[in-house]
Amino acid sequence: MTTLLIGLLIPLASGGDTPWILLLGPAGAVAVYWGLFQFYRNTGRSHSFERETLIESKPITGTDQKVDEVRGTQRTSIDGNNVHNHRQRVRRW
Amino acid sequence: MTDSQATPEPVTGPGQPGPVPPGASGPRTVDTANQALHDGVNRCPKCGSTEIQLRVSAGKLVCLFCRYEWSEAKIEPVVAGESALQDLTGTVVASGATDISPEVSGVITLKCPGCGSEVVVNTAEAMSSRCHWCRHILTINEQVPNGAVPDAVLPFGITRDQALEHIRAFAGARRLFAHRTFRRDFAPENVVGVYLPYMVVDGNASADVQGFGEVETRRYTRKNGDQEETYYDADVYQVGRHVDFTVDDLTIESSAERANMNAFVNTNNVINTILPFDTKNAVRWNANYLVGFTSERRDQDVGQVEPVLEDQLLSIARSQVEGSVSRYNRGVRWEAEHLVVHGTRWVSMYLPVWLYSYYYEENGHAMVHYIAVNGRTGETMGSVPVSQGRLILAALVAGTVLEGVALWLLAVMS
Repeated sequence: MTTLLIGLLIPLASGGDTPWILLLGPAGAVAVYWGLFQFYRNTGRSHSFERETLIESKPITGTDQKVDEVRGTQRTSIDGNNVHNHRQRVRRW
Repeated sequence: MTDSQATPEPVTGPGQPGPVPPGASGPRTVDTANQALHDGVNRCPKCGSTEIQLRVSAGKLVCLFCRYEWSEAKIEPVVAGESALQDLTGTVVASGATDISPEVSGVITLKCPGCGSEVVVNTAEAMSSRCHWCRHILTINEQVPNGAVPDAVLPFGITRDQALEHIRAFAGARRLFAHRTFRRDFAPENVVGVYLPYMVVDGNASADVQGFGEVETRRYTRKNGDQEETYYDADVYQVGRHVDFTVDDLTIESSAERANMNAFVNTNNVINTILPFDTKNAVRWNANYLVGFTSERRDQDVGQVEPVLEDQLLSIARSQVEGSVSRYNRGVRWEAEHLVVHGTRWVSMYLPVWLYSYYYEENGHAMVHYIAVNGRTGETMGSVPVSQGRLILAALVAGTVLEGVALWLLAVMS
């Protein structure tokens, strides 16, 4: 486990002029604080009605039309990706 | 929603939707009143005693004199009838879920048939009261439009001792960083059984969503000085999805106070988290199920809960279509959504919750922290006030250790 961690950290440490790895301490402190706070206070928890309700749906229908191409982007996903964020409301029509 | 909210149709008969006049757009009402019971004295069918209460381990009412046990019929066949959910159209409201009339008081005065004295019941807190003079128990069973008598009740299935175990285990796992006053004052014996009001909704709906999705076509790296940077090519698609679906027993808070889940000012979200309940086992109303427990009265009408229902139906639709867009490996950005509700069926229900509450004030900011146990499944969730000092100290220690590792790595690399 330790070897694996060091293996992951060394490329970070060696990347470029900025020693990004120095952010490990502050980021770790924030993560520990937030993780423990949530374990005690559970402020972000709610009923998962999307999964825990009896739902029957007919086969999904729809359309897929290619409209554009993206070349040479460094973004790892589409801008504004909300495919997993079911509770984020978007424009109603 | 397909139907506007109007004055409910008059109740016409047990379990039967009221007739729909031609052109009527108001909701149809299903009569769920328990005709065998009335306000006042309701006796054991065997011996005539009024000493009746829920036997939690059996989930049945028990007469404390002759030990006869019985239970009310399930509510589901009364409100669902024979029709399939996908054929549900319009708005059907069970009679216990009809609109609350502000003129109708929540305080009901009953005349004790045993001695003639008057007994007052505040339905905001209890649905029964003992006559001070002749010791009869008087219960509230008639549906009046004050939100007090729901269509159904789901009796407790988890005993108080079982709830205590759940609460102790939950808090025990959170001792280390709990605030010292919480640890000092922790008294799970103060747990109370509460019946909380909910709307249980069946729905038949369709939804459309539109947006854009990206499929990765190429991934490559370029040199930028000493660094290698990753670049992506992708095809962009306009994506649309349509789903027809039904939901069965979606459960929504029908108390304005409980529905407020602002985690900055209350901990109601932990009570919401212990949902769902096995609402299919809910039975017709009998106030004797509440003897020995407290209850909160419904104060929200169907029209006030509808926006929450629509929001949840849209979330469900988005969840349902997710699997159909898995080919978009760079994700999908949904930009517009549309919901058509073909039909809904509303049932007002009291659901059982064991609640341990702890009043905590910090820097003038007061909050009641709950640990809630689902009175049927035992699912437990809670909020424990934290000791900010110890939490920050733990975070600083962890951060310092990680920073030490980072500095060591830098030293090794240089």
